Amino acid sequence: MVWVLPFLLALPLSATSQTAPASPSFADVSHRADAARVQERFPEAIQLYKQGIKLRPTWSEGWWWLGSIYYEQDRFPEAQAAFERFVATSPKAEPAYAFLGLCEYETGKYDAARRHFSQWALKGSPGTSELIDVALFHWALLLTQEGKFAQALYLLDKAAQHHGPNPLLVEAIGLAWLQLRNLPEDYPIEQREIVWLAGTASVSASADNYKKAQEYAARLVSHYGDRPNVHYFRGMLYFFDKQEEEAQAEFRRELEISPKNASAMIQLALAQASLREKLDEAENNASNALSIDSENPLGHYALGTVLLLQGKYEPSVGELQRAAKLAPGSARVHFQLANAYRRLDRMSDFEREKALFENLKDKQEVFATVEEKLMDVSDQREQPK
Amino acid sequence: MTACLFLVCSLALANLAPSTQSKDPSTLDQISTAAQAARDQNQDDDAIRLFRKGLKIKPDWDEGLWYLGTMLYEREQFAESRDLLRRFVAQNGTSGPGWAILGLSEYHTREYRRSLEHLQKSRDYGLGDRKELANSVYYVVAVLLTRFEQYDDAMTLLFQMKSEGYQEELLLEPLGLASVRLPFLPSEIPADRRKMVRMAGAGSLAVAGGRREEAEKIFHDIIDAYPKEPGVHFLLGALLLNVRPEDGIKEMERELQISPSHVAARLRLAQEYARQQNFDAALPLAKEALHLDPQDFSCHMVLGEVLVGKADLTGGIQELETARDRAPELARIRWDLVRAYNQAGRESDANREKKAIEKLSAPNPE
Repeated sequence: MVWVLPFLLALPLSATSQTAPASPSFADVSHRADAARVQERFPEAIQLYKQGIKLRPTWSEGWWWLGSIYYEQDRFPEAQAAFERFVATSPKAEPAYAFLGLCEYETGKYDAARRHFSQWALKGSPGTSELIDVALFHWALLLTQEGKFAQALYLLDKAAQHHGPNPLLVEAIGLAWLQLRNLPEDYPIEQREIVWLAGTASVSASADNYKKAQEYAARLVSHYGDRPNVHYFRGMLYFFDKQEEEAQAEFRRELEISPKNASAMIQLALAQASLREKLDEAENNASNALSIDSENPLGHYALGTVLLLQGKYEPSVGELQRAAKLAPGSARVHFQLANAYRRLDRMSDFEREKALFENLKDKQEVFATVEEKLMDVSDQREQPK
Repeated sequence: MTACLFLVCSLALANLAPSTQSKDPSTLDQISTAAQAARDQNQDDDAIRLFRKGLKIKPDWDEGLWYLGTMLYEREQFAESRDLLRRFVAQNGTSGPGWAILGLSEYHTREYRRSLEHLQKSRDYGLGDRKELANSVYYVVAVLLTRFEQYDDAMTLLFQMKSEGYQEELLLEPLGLASVRLPFLPSEIPADRRKMVRMAGAGSLAVAGGRREEAEKIFHDIIDAYPKEPGVHFLLGALLLNVRPEDGIKEMERELQISPSHVAARLRLAQEYARQQNFDAALPLAKEALHLDPQDFSCHMVLGEVLVGKADLTGGIQELETARDRAPELARIRWDLVRAYNQAGRESDANREKKAIEKLSAPNPE
């Protein structure tokens, strides 16, 4: 994967407003600036764009190219300032939000970067495939830093499936899986091995190479088996590989090490539900998880599923409705809710949920839990514009 | 309040720059002269203040960007030196030392991908007679290649450094990491395996120095101390394949029991079986290696050689052509192709590859 943007300068300027130059000197300067840029005489182009902007501060095209050249040269503070002016002067500035986010990431303004990535995503993530790759990768890093691990993993796993193994991706995925709220640039160096092993295992699993994934997970456990999240992670690999018995053993081991790990409780409940066994214990596990993390949509989904299997349809519907409210874009929540309604002969509700499931089911094939990822989307929707 | 702050600032300035306070230069020329004088007299605080002042007057002032950047680098203010050097190389794109200090700054700010890219650029543009800087650049490039899992490239560079007289003690950990294929910086080595890494480095240095018996002993010692660690049986196996192939095969097989995804172990084993004309044993290993790492040219090369050995010329040539396209400068693949094309009666293709080999082996006019 290309994590820098070598093709940035070839980007079409479709989103800029075209303010017509008024004076000959401006026309001359802008023409010379464009010529210098096209001929890759960048220092000269920078001077000319600056000159043009001085003559006409609303020249959005000038701000765009100035920002682009600075970005290409890794001069992020200057690029950030130029893109800010571009956004302020252009009516159609969508791709610039991604660039702003990237510049702010590089200058350590992480909250602003999150806001701009989010704005960009809400506008449909416009841009070239290179821009989308780089922006989503950096957004994922910030989601990990923020503690939104499932959402980060959703984005990173899509990248892993698309681009294959990559050391930067491995590191980013390792941090997210181990729930380390750090960036690749600032996590403790003594965590390097654990991050690498988890990341390699996860990237291998994304490529359906579970043999290699388990080899690295075994190395992880052999060196770091007493650390939090390590057995949970290995359990998830087993779970994805449909080895529910082994998965359960790992989740139990995780709960011995970190008894308050709600994610491990939920996954244990789901594994038990999947095998249709120990449903009372599964109910307890899901309930306990919700007592720790009451707004966890996957927890409500797990409890609803277990209750459904126990024939407790009314309470099951309640839990699944809660899950659907927290994660409205989750296909499997709607699927399970449809099942529960059918059991209660609420056929119009059943039809509605079934239709929702049909609309969403192509989003089912993701490595991270869709629920939490989509919960993030619902968070964004609630943000004031 | 403002007056107090002003006083504080003035005092601070007075403390920083006693020698230039009374005759503060104001034009860029004056500032440049004063900054250089301060630098020459090791009055770094004064020099830094003056270079900053000059850059306020002329933000693209090359001299200011360079000296301030390098002085801040020496003071371990890496983020600031990085930003200054980025501005410097934007105007001086062929400055090897500029890319070098930039890449080294980025190494310290843990921007490893950019650091490697920029240090490689510094090597491309050259560092002149700056031997110390070149040593730092080579070292950091080597450790970053390992961190990005380009172990063979890292080892090639480290052995080159050794042959150029680089201090062996400093090569132990980088070489050990690359040879046991752990993508860590020396500072990231887990404490419980630092000794293992250093031993692996020492063994690799012994191999490079032609001290086979010493290397074999070191590798045996590593296995005794760390029998289940991935990579250690591979080290011994690779050594033994050259002298006692049967023992080498056993070590490689042991390595594959411990780390089944070890691509290099599979390839070495496949090559050994192919050398023994045991293509049936070589084929699954070569195929598995390619499955594990389809991007690696050497997997295509070895599979191609094995397929040709099994008289599957169509399949073999296809793999060898893929390998050649990915590593066009490797003569071995082209010689493989010459033989395969000849066997397949494709004389003109064989001649084309021969010409390519001649071109590769011609002395470089530069």
